[in-house]
Amino acid sequence: MSAAPEFKPAIEVAGLRKRYGAGDTAVDALKGVDLTVQPGEVIGLIGPSGSGKSTLLKCLGAVTEPTAGRIALSGETVYDGGWRNLDPRALRRDRIGFVFQAPYLIPFLDVTDNVALPLLLAGRSNRDARQRARELLAALDVEHRAQAAVAQLSGGEQQRVAIARALANQPPIILADEPTAPLDSERALAVVRILNRMAQQYQTAIIVVTHDEKIIPTFKRLYHIRDGRTYEEAGEGREFG
Amino acid sequence: MISLAGRDILHSWGKYAFTGLGLGLLIGVTLSMAGIYRGMVDDGKALLANSGADLWVVQRDTLGPYAEPSSLRDDIYRGLLGLPGVARAANVTYLTMQARQGERDVRVMVVGIQPGEPGEPRYLIAGRQIERTHYEAVADASTGFQLGERVRIRRHDYTVVGLTRRMVSASGDPMVFIPLRDAQEAQFLKDNDAIINERARVLANPALNRPGVPGLAETLSRSQETSRMVNAVLVQIAPGWDGEQVADAIRRWKRLQAYTVAQMEEILIAKLIATSARQIAVFLMILAVVSAAIVSFIIYTMTLGKLREIAVLKLIGARNRTIAGMILQEALGLGLIGFLVGKTVATLWAPYFPKYVLLEPGDAARGFVAVMVICALASTLAIRTALRVDPATAIGG
Repeated sequence: MSAAPEFKPAIEVAGLRKRYGAGDTAVDALKGVDLTVQPGEVIGLIGPSGSGKSTLLKCLGAVTEPTAGRIALSGETVYDGGWRNLDPRALRRDRIGFVFQAPYLIPFLDVTDNVALPLLLAGRSNRDARQRARELLAALDVEHRAQAAVAQLSGGEQQRVAIARALANQPPIILADEPTAPLDSERALAVVRILNRMAQQYQTAIIVVTHDEKIIPTFKRLYHIRDGRTYEEAGEGREFG
Repeated sequence: MISLAGRDILHSWGKYAFTGLGLGLLIGVTLSMAGIYRGMVDDGKALLANSGADLWVVQRDTLGPYAEPSSLRDDIYRGLLGLPGVARAANVTYLTMQARQGERDVRVMVVGIQPGEPGEPRYLIAGRQIERTHYEAVADASTGFQLGERVRIRRHDYTVVGLTRRMVSASGDPMVFIPLRDAQEAQFLKDNDAIINERARVLANPALNRPGVPGLAETLSRSQETSRMVNAVLVQIAPGWDGEQVADAIRRWKRLQAYTVAQMEEILIAKLIATSARQIAVFLMILAVVSAAIVSFIIYTMTLGKLREIAVLKLIGARNRTIAGMILQEALGLGLIGFLVGKTVATLWAPYFPKYVLLEPGDAARGFVAVMVICALASTLAIRTALRVDPATAIGG
């Protein structure tokens, strides 16, 4: 009888804390966050302004160093009171994808080069990077705009290119910071649909920070963050993918 | 890895090209200033080379005939011809003045020469050399005079019989060659009123107008009315003789000052145009500082316009050296465009300067290196700012 395959969470966060400042003026932005997301899963993270959403995203994205706690990516502990001999920049480049509120594509690069950029920064050859970029653009139905300048794309197309860029290095996790904020309902739902499809297709975990009431019901799992702590809420959202 | 700087330049090439054009005009002015200095030096060297002399014999204790006034008796050259090592010697006069041609005045250096002797223009681009002993002239083409035209110098009209080129004074005034006798008269002859007054003074002086010595006063007056002075004697040395050796003999036995070509170059370049050279050097330094400030400001402003993109680049894992390299390459690209524009405009507008502008390839190479160094240094402020960008600003919050 063979053993059941071991499923490692894409990201596992335990007791994560972040304190800004020191002494009397110290602010505890995160007071012990626990979070687990499986590969291929898309979860929502909501909370009021000042609740610690952005701080959590920055800590998970290796942009800000937490004060305490543990972060593991695909079962490997990357932070445990300190970055585990890892360069946060390399961690961001190789193992974390980002999607922002605005696409923030590099305006002086064309669509293909925008998607290929993380691969090129990781040292992949131009040919490999562009091949992978074309695959992702095809998966996101923007292959026909591969040679276009960023300014020639619609808002929805730009966001899809941004998602392709986040997927370029096949990261185990993508952090999406209000990716549907500037979009109308139809386009917002389309983006969420794409995120779910990509998560399934590439077995990537996606954490979506959002205020967008239109898309909140779509998450199967939803985390609330309040006063620096997370609370999980079982969702009844529709299934995508 | 793709060139981020190259893509950024191509993306906003219009802004980049106009900025490079502006910087290029500034660099063009800088190169022209260097060219003006080189032109002054070259004018000085051409003046010496075209005179055909190996030695300049001038009044003792002077730096004549170009840097200081010098007066010699015009018969001294005969004594010089008797010295060992002297092959040829000829009198010359130099006088910077206004020559009149028709309705216009031209500032020229009038050179009095003995036809066929050292000091005569070495080559002509039109016409012939001076052949008559009076009232003929050979002019540098930059005077604008034409063959056959009549030019007024002091009291006499001269016919332009030949045209030459690159015959200018150390200060860039074109030369007009006339016969020595005419030049002596132009330089030393007094006006009629002064002659009459001088005669009256001699006649009124009992020591010079003694009843027992008839003709003394008249002889004295005549001697004062004619000029027997020149500014220098140009000497050509016989083959096999050392210039310094002959110059020493002249200093020792003739009690005159004699300069070799090297010494005369030193006088012209290190003394005569030294103040102008320092003036240009200060101006060049100011231009370099202004260029650096402008490049720095442009690169800094361009970088400020890309802070969001830089934050995104850092967030997705770009190394500091990738970002610094992008900014540095853009600064160097701007410098390259600026230099190419500057070199082109400096070459195009050089002929329109009233004085000779010599753009030497060596100066251009040094200018190119200086522009690149200035651009690299100017980019440091922008690089510092870019490297301080927090990648978290791409996330917001």
